[in-house]
Amino acid sequence: MLIRPSARRKTAHGGIQLNLVPFIDAMVTMIGFMLFTISFIAIVSVESPFPIISQQDMMEKLKERPIQLTLTIKEKETEIWSPFEKIKSRTIPHMPSGLPDTTSIHSVLLEVKQQFPLEKKIVLVPTAQTNYDTLISLMDSMRLINTTDPPIYAKNPATGLDEVIKDLFPEVVFGNLLGDS
Amino acid sequence: MAIYRSIKSRKSKRKISNIFELQLTSMLDVLVIIVVFLLKSYATSTNSFTSVPGLKLPLSATRDTPPDSLQVIVTPESITFENERIMDFILTAGSLDSNDAIYKFKPTDLDEGGRRVIPLYDALLKARDKSEFLRAKSKARDAEGKPLPFEGILAIQADKRVSYDTIRRIMYTAATAGYKIFRFLAMQQEL
Repeated sequence: MLIRPSARRKTAHGGIQLNLVPFIDAMVTMIGFMLFTISFIAIVSVESPFPIISQQDMMEKLKERPIQLTLTIKEKETEIWSPFEKIKSRTIPHMPSGLPDTTSIHSVLLEVKQQFPLEKKIVLVPTAQTNYDTLISLMDSMRLINTTDPPIYAKNPATGLDEVIKDLFPEVVFGNLLGDS
Repeated sequence: MAIYRSIKSRKSKRKISNIFELQLTSMLDVLVIIVVFLLKSYATSTNSFTSVPGLKLPLSATRDTPPDSLQVIVTPESITFENERIMDFILTAGSLDSNDAIYKFKPTDLDEGGRRVIPLYDALLKARDKSEFLRAKSKARDAEGKPLPFEGILAIQADKRVSYDTIRRIMYTAATAGYKIFRFLAMQQEL
């Protein structure tokens, strides 16, 4: 008489093998879709409002005599000045390439910011020939505080505590939009 | 002493197994890494700003990503508003592929003493009317129950060679059409 073999012997000993082919199909489809739709160029923006002149605001401002920090690009130099003479006017010669020296401009603006830590506005007056590339690099040097720059502190009016300032002069306004120069 | 293999054993050595299994696990690992990298990069491309061929954007160290808005693209050849080429400049010799783009507005395209660009003004006004019409139809209302006001934001995407004189004209034109805030677009600089 033959003895029936044990049912346990029929079970596989190698374990369950996962079918990876559908996973790979899904992955390849996803990669293809992403490569088609993705944009590897990150676009950033620098905001600037159109200057609006209000007679009432102007009268109030004239009473207060604001700093109205102004950066004027000239043919061979850049001038940082205040119409109300709140700061000493500084002149920075252009680099040998003829472009404004953004590093020196940034250093001067840092000094001004240390004097007036709560000031946020700056007026930019470029020449008609200044190109967009120079405008963007100038606006960066005027708006941003680099990680290597010394920290600037200002008292927060709400909390009364000293806080590190994150932006230099973030509100850039063009000063000669109606001019011809 | 030389070892001689039998003919039978030589035959058995030459036999290649019929079952060839590709190692898919390592391939799946690679694909997962690629997918994760792409998903991470996906976060930086949320805006829908389009570009035009030949446009060279400047680099900026700022990290502010622009929200979607109406956009005007300025190259040394033309002005494009919302993917529609609205005007061409007069090109001069050597204006293309040079560092200093030399181009001019057509005199017929300007008015108000050369400050306003007529085709751009018309396009901006049309877009503003359309936006205001959609806002009037929309259910979104302000505190007083009125339609939400027109934001008046314009993104300017200009070639790095474009002069401030041109950008100034565009800003002036936009301001006369009711656009008060400008966003200058640039490519993010790797720090």
